[in-house]
Amino acid sequence: MTDPALSAPLRLEGRVAAQARVSASMLRLDLHLEAPAPASPGQFCMLNLAGESAMTLSRPLSILEADGDRLSLLYKVVGRGTRLLADLPPQAQVRVLTPLGTAFPAPQDDRPRLLLAGGVGLPPLHWWHRVHGRAQDVPCFGARDGADAPWPLLPSPWRVSVDALRDVPAGRTAVQGNVVELARGLTAQSGADHVVLACGPVPLLAAAARFAAERGWPCHVSLEERMGCGYGVCRGCVAPTPHDGPWRLVCKDGPVLPADAVDWDRFGLAPAAAAQAYDAPTRLLPEEDPA
Amino acid sequence: MTALPAWLPFDPASPVTLGPRTLPGRIWTASGCFGYGLDGADIRDARGAGPFAGLGAVVTKTVTPAPRRGNPPPRVWGTVHGALNSIGLENVGLDRFLDDVVPRLAGAGTPFVVSLAGTRPDEFGVMTRRLRAAALDVPGWHGVELNLSCPNVAKGGVDFGRDPDTVRACTEAAAAEIGERLLTAKLTPNSARIAPLAAAAAAGGAHAVTAVNTLVGMDVDLRTGKPVLPRRRGGYSGPGILPVALAKVDEIVLETGVPVIGVGGIRTAEDALRFFAVGAVAVQVGTAQMDDPFAAAAVAAGLNGGGAA
Repeated sequence: MTDPALSAPLRLEGRVAAQARVSASMLRLDLHLEAPAPASPGQFCMLNLAGESAMTLSRPLSILEADGDRLSLLYKVVGRGTRLLADLPPQAQVRVLTPLGTAFPAPQDDRPRLLLAGGVGLPPLHWWHRVHGRAQDVPCFGARDGADAPWPLLPSPWRVSVDALRDVPAGRTAVQGNVVELARGLTAQSGADHVVLACGPVPLLAAAARFAAERGWPCHVSLEERMGCGYGVCRGCVAPTPHDGPWRLVCKDGPVLPADAVDWDRFGLAPAAAAQAYDAPTRLLPEEDPA
Repeated sequence: MTALPAWLPFDPASPVTLGPRTLPGRIWTASGCFGYGLDGADIRDARGAGPFAGLGAVVTKTVTPAPRRGNPPPRVWGTVHGALNSIGLENVGLDRFLDDVVPRLAGAGTPFVVSLAGTRPDEFGVMTRRLRAAALDVPGWHGVELNLSCPNVAKGGVDFGRDPDTVRACTEAAAAEIGERLLTAKLTPNSARIAPLAAAAAAGGAHAVTAVNTLVGMDVDLRTGKPVLPRRRGGYSGPGILPVALAKVDEIVLETGVPVIGVGGIRTAEDALRFFAVGAVAVQVGTAQMDDPFAAAAVAAGLNGGGAA
């Protein structure tokens, strides 16, 4: 549930300050907002074009950094909406709802934090590490290959894994495999209990949850689901919980949730698989109120 | 636009009287697109204003007799000109709505209309009676909007909303219990003719009709060749349906004269004016409100004093 320490969301106009490619697949978008909008690492925003050119639905993007009236986002072009965002020139006007959702918890004890970020799941953990990171924490990032990794954002102590060992720039190191395998290697020698923080594709989150559970380590994950509103009114982005418990709303109860609050067998399924997994009634409602 | 058009039959910033009730404005939020009017209430703009300025009413998310879990995710999908949804009427159920939500809305002073759905015509009467008993002393409670898009269990699963006799039966059941509050029936656009449905609602005692609900729609993910929603088809809303909604409102106004609350794809003050031009007396902002919690307030501000956004 929403932490009372988090700021209430603001609906702000803004302008594109800068936009730059940071890897083969990722763009960094820096916005200048009309007012300061404090946020915490793990929270996200809903972004749309301003005025008549607005998309019907804003796009949820996780925050790389919020500093006063500056908001930095990192995203990947995955469809029509993000393509429109990628085409925004400097000074283009945008509309933002920020900050939204829950944050990754700040460290309350000395246990090392194991950060597992995959692909465009990097922003919240990157920001968390700059704000809260300590010498004992272990930040790990996984990409498809070297070209997919935003190297300028991954200075030491970040460790990088790649599915395919190619296009790794000179002077940088990456190990082949996924980020959970990387973490397994890095923590194998340490007898310490860790706390896992994970953000990335569903298979990564599920693997991180399993990895932590096997060791009895706490694990917090940042979930992603198709969103309508981003602020809790449309009930579009529900996540299943164990034992058929009540849905968690990804935008409001999350996106950061304890890993054991999620039914990993049913979270993030493709539509056809979801219809089967939930045993959805076969009768098709001819219409639905957007309710 | 710099001034309101001369042809407007009323000041769009004025209160609107529907049946026994006068609501403080003609711009409302549509059911399902602003929750129960509680989530989102804490959002502010850069000037510190909230999202309710100038609104006539929040129409709540639809409430059913028992709680509903709704449909499996994914439940929403953006298209080029609109949005698809398959929420499945997830809601807390009438008991919790009356015990928990109504007192909070009363405390906040929010003007609201409660959207109700049942699975048999008599349930609309029972729900209206219970709501009235619980909310009679709440000045912000202005009335009931019947959501008739659920399958009618007693009639073999045919939608309430497509059969004039059933529309009339549901409306009569609710009208018998509504007292001195507004009763409107939200009509489906998914039938060839909407005027007979509006006439049936009026004959059943509705003071107005709300037109229109979502269109049936679907989309396909070309990577998989499969529908994007687990239940294949869902409700299509947003800017793409505005011309359809406008034509349906026009049909109702011309053929029945029943007062119409227009809804469908409204994003701007100019969109609202189009509905007023064909005879709507109030409008609701739906999908745009979901996207921007200040959308309806911006439409209201654009119609207040003529400075359309």
